[in-house]
Amino acid sequence: MDANKNKDRLWKSASGLPLQKFYSESDVPQEQRKRMAADPGVAPFHRGAHPGGYRTKAWRIFQLSGFGKPEDENERIRFLLEQGETGFIMEHDRNTGDHCYNVDHPDVVARREDVGLTGAVMQSVRDIDICMKDLPLETSFGHAGGAVVQHAPFALAGYWTVAKHRGIDLARLPGTGQSDFFLTYLGCVTKQQVPTAAGLRFNADIMEFCDKHLPRWVPVSIAGYNGADTGLNAYQELGALFANAVEYLEEIKRRKTMPLENAARACSGVNFRASMDLFEEASKMRAARLMWVQLLERRYGITNPKVANLRIHCVTAGSRMTYQQPLNNIVRGTVMALAAALGGVQSLGVSGYDEALSIPSEHAHQMSVRIQQILQEETNIQAVTDPLGGSWYVESLTAELVERAWGFFEEIQDQGGFLATLDSGWLHERAAENQSEDFRQQESGEQVIIGVTDHKDDISPFEVDGFMGVDDAYDVALERLQEVRRTRYEAGAGKALSELEAVCRNGNNIMPAMMDALQSEVTLGEIGDVYRSVFGDWATPIQT
Amino acid sequence: MKTAGKRILMAKTGLDGHWRGPTVVAKALRDAGFEVIMIGMARPEEVMQASIDEDVDLVGLNIGGHVDVAVRAIGMVREARPEVPIFVGGVVPPHAKRKLESLGVEVYPPGSQLPDIVAAAVRLTGAA
Amino acid sequence: MLLRCGLRGQPEILGAGMNPELEQQLQGELERARKGDRGALARLISVLERGGYGAACVERGLSARAADSYTVGITGAPGAGKSTLVNALLGEMVADAQRVALLAVDPSSPLSRGALLGDRVRMHSHAASPAVFIRSMASRGQLGGLAVATRSARRLLEACGWPLIMIETVGVGQVELDVASTTDTVVVVLNPGWGDEVQANKAGLMEVADIFVINKADKAGLEATRRDLEGALASLPQQRRPAIVETVATEGRGAVDLWAAICAHRQAIEESGELRERRLGQLRAELRGFVEAHLEVALDELFATDCADLQLAAIGRGAVDMPAAGDVLLAELWSLVNSPKRR
Repeated sequence: MDANKNKDRLWKSASGLPLQKFYSESDVPQEQRKRMAADPGVAPFHRGAHPGGYRTKAWRIFQLSGFGKPEDENERIRFLLEQGETGFIMEHDRNTGDHCYNVDHPDVVARREDVGLTGAVMQSVRDIDICMKDLPLETSFGHAGGAVVQHAPFALAGYWTVAKHRGIDLARLPGTGQSDFFLTYLGCVTKQQVPTAAGLRFNADIMEFCDKHLPRWVPVSIAGYNGADTGLNAYQELGALFANAVEYLEEIKRRKTMPLENAARACSGVNFRASMDLFEEASKMRAARLMWVQLLERRYGITNPKVANLRIHCVTAGSRMTYQQPLNNIVRGTVMALAAALGGVQSLGVSGYDEALSIPSEHAHQMSVRIQQILQEETNIQAVTDPLGGSWYVESLTAELVERAWGFFEEIQDQGGFLATLDSGWLHERAAENQSEDFRQQESGEQVIIGVTDHKDDISPFEVDGFMGVDDAYDVALERLQEVRRTRYEAGAGKALSELEAVCRNGNNIMPAMMDALQSEVTLGEIGDVYRSVFGDWATPIQT
Repeated sequence: MKTAGKRILMAKTGLDGHWRGPTVVAKALRDAGFEVIMIGMARPEEVMQASIDEDVDLVGLNIGGHVDVAVRAIGMVREARPEVPIFVGGVVPPHAKRKLESLGVEVYPPGSQLPDIVAAAVRLTGAA
Repeated sequence: MLLRCGLRGQPEILGAGMNPELEQQLQGELERARKGDRGALARLISVLERGGYGAACVERGLSARAADSYTVGITGAPGAGKSTLVNALLGEMVADAQRVALLAVDPSSPLSRGALLGDRVRMHSHAASPAVFIRSMASRGQLGGLAVATRSARRLLEACGWPLIMIETVGVGQVELDVASTTDTVVVVLNPGWGDEVQANKAGLMEVADIFVINKADKAGLEATRRDLEGALASLPQQRRPAIVETVATEGRGAVDLWAAICAHRQAIEESGELRERRLGQLRAELRGFVEAHLEVALDELFATDCADLQLAAIGRGAVDMPAAGDVLLAELWSLVNSPKRR
């Protein structure tokens, strides 16, 4: 590498903020200096959600896991819990789950080998029951799956139905299911999906239902992660995430079916990405908490600290995991996890080092847990809350991110709001611009990725060859689907399904009917067929 | 380069909706003068039909998941349009890459740089 | 006669003259395409798109329009939902046991000449249907909403027995007049809240539209847009007043009504004899377009010679004025068009 390279370089943060050689007190904006006086756990919360930080509660080790048959996934989850994971995520197969298809749908049959590669196939409450076998539902924090909006009502109702069967009082059940617009309509656009307006309705229905029956459940978890990993930069991720929250809050406000404060609380568990720009990413977590306080107070007059205290789940950037020299990704995962930990998070997932090759192998999963345990146990990072607080650099970065994020938030409002930017493709264009810029910088040498743009010739004694799960997922899923059809009480299932269709059409809350449908062993694909006939298909914005 | 009027079909063989990679590649090909026909997620027979009806000079498949799904799509395109070259990108672990390359398909895994992909398209369509 | 007027396309092809072998090969392709070989049909469209001698050979093999083919144009601003509407409409047409061919036009980049053609993404329900032929076309510099070869591709499809042809134009934000001179029924797609657009384009809209679609009819502003539209159409006599159809294409809602409106319009203009007049008009526009395209090639060729440079220099010196220089060049153009190598 050129020895003088650094001298002439124009230094910027990953989101393009110009950076000075060093920072002094005078670089911190006046307002931010005033905020620095606040302690962690006190509004405006940028210094942390709890005064005791990780002393009060270590961050939750929360890894995405899932493949194969429900029993394979159950086994992996139990393995991770044994390794020290403190929450668990049930990932449903994307081919079937995201699309609400059964395995005998022609689009799935055409890709039958893919079935079970990205999550376990769960087409009825029986499958969900197998996947949840012996899991500590009440003492751990469960993610029921259903990250994609049209899938969430099914996944949640399935999880809750199984919990009920086990005698658990839903009022005491903790967990989440995400139901994320960023994933559904921006990051990972499915072949078929309910339009955004129907998606908004689903999420508001889930919020209402949880408000009544599952107060400990996080009904929706907005995942800026999925925007960021699609190309949005740090301040765009922040601005878009709160623009999304506003859509949910406005919908509840319009419905007047639950106190707005409860709705705000329902939205206050969010998901961010941690990427490689260590200080910018740490500052982003601080900025997020500050912005939530500002949004609730300015727009809705909500100041209740229990509601305005944003809780953050963070996942390290999967897109920064390289295909080349995958073991280097263990280092990347560590740095990104450190950024999140320094910024203050409640929960963390570290992408597998084999992310660019496949779903995580057992070893990659174990490493993701170990990275977090090493940080927690060996670095003393948990001792002091907001260790970066008072750094002139970090405080000014935090302030600048907040300012730019509100700017982006306003741009989204000018476009007609978050949903409108998804429908029109405006947000996709913003993400695509950044991607193209990244590629340009990699070509020009401004952006270096070890093993990809530079130092490409390493030889590793360890070949990482991509974990391929199990090979009987499709066949077993098909058998079980036929078994459900053969052995369920058909009249009950039929009645529950028509009731669900009626509710989809008449606009009432869909969740009670969805609970009945799961209880009556209605299958995923039948529910998807109802959606498709009632709501049609979202017109994916086409990139040009 | 004589890319003008050369047509490239871009399809995703899986049902996984990550569009970031294929879109960036499609734009780079457009900017190099190609006409890029995007069909999104498509089953093997849909890829094949589009490769016929659109009379393309090259087929680009974004794959993920199991290599056999891609192999089926490649087989159907080969049957219908044996003269048309195929290149592949996406999440392709080494064992899948080896298999695809043994079928005479060029593979561009994550981390491939756009100029290399564009250069391949130029070469494969005979636009050099 | 058409061949005599020269050959369109790249200059190097212009001088190529007769190539009986190629001509024979293309006639063979045409024969296969007529018999239902979709590969041959697709390749022939490419030949038409490339222009030049090959295109002329194909065009010569196409007779005048087959009376039993019918062409529907779909136009409207970008974002109006044309592709999604077309997808829903294809479903209706196919359900009505009709085979349909679609030519979907998207713009070429003026800088790179490349294009992203994404209409098929919205049409996956028909992606492998034997009853539906979809061809994406890049405009290749053609203005007016169609691609260079859209008209000849339509004639080819007719010759190959496709009873129903849809042409989806480029959405460029204004009404595309070319579609009216190429199709039998023109559907203009609007959205709620486009009252201003209706007012601003009143004359153009009324001129081309046979049917108006207000797509995204579940969005706010539907009533106002409908009112604006009805107001604009009020001056037309009842029987010439375009139907207004409301659709929510993402849900497939209204597609049945739109298909019914298209069928009704077809029946009306068939019965009144207007269809015959329209087709004469289309033929006239096509012929004119053909001549224009060839003249343009010749003009480009002329300006690439030093003949134009000489006149420019003379104008610069003040030795000759613009009209006189123009006369000289027009005479040159005439002799270029008539030169023996072009015959």
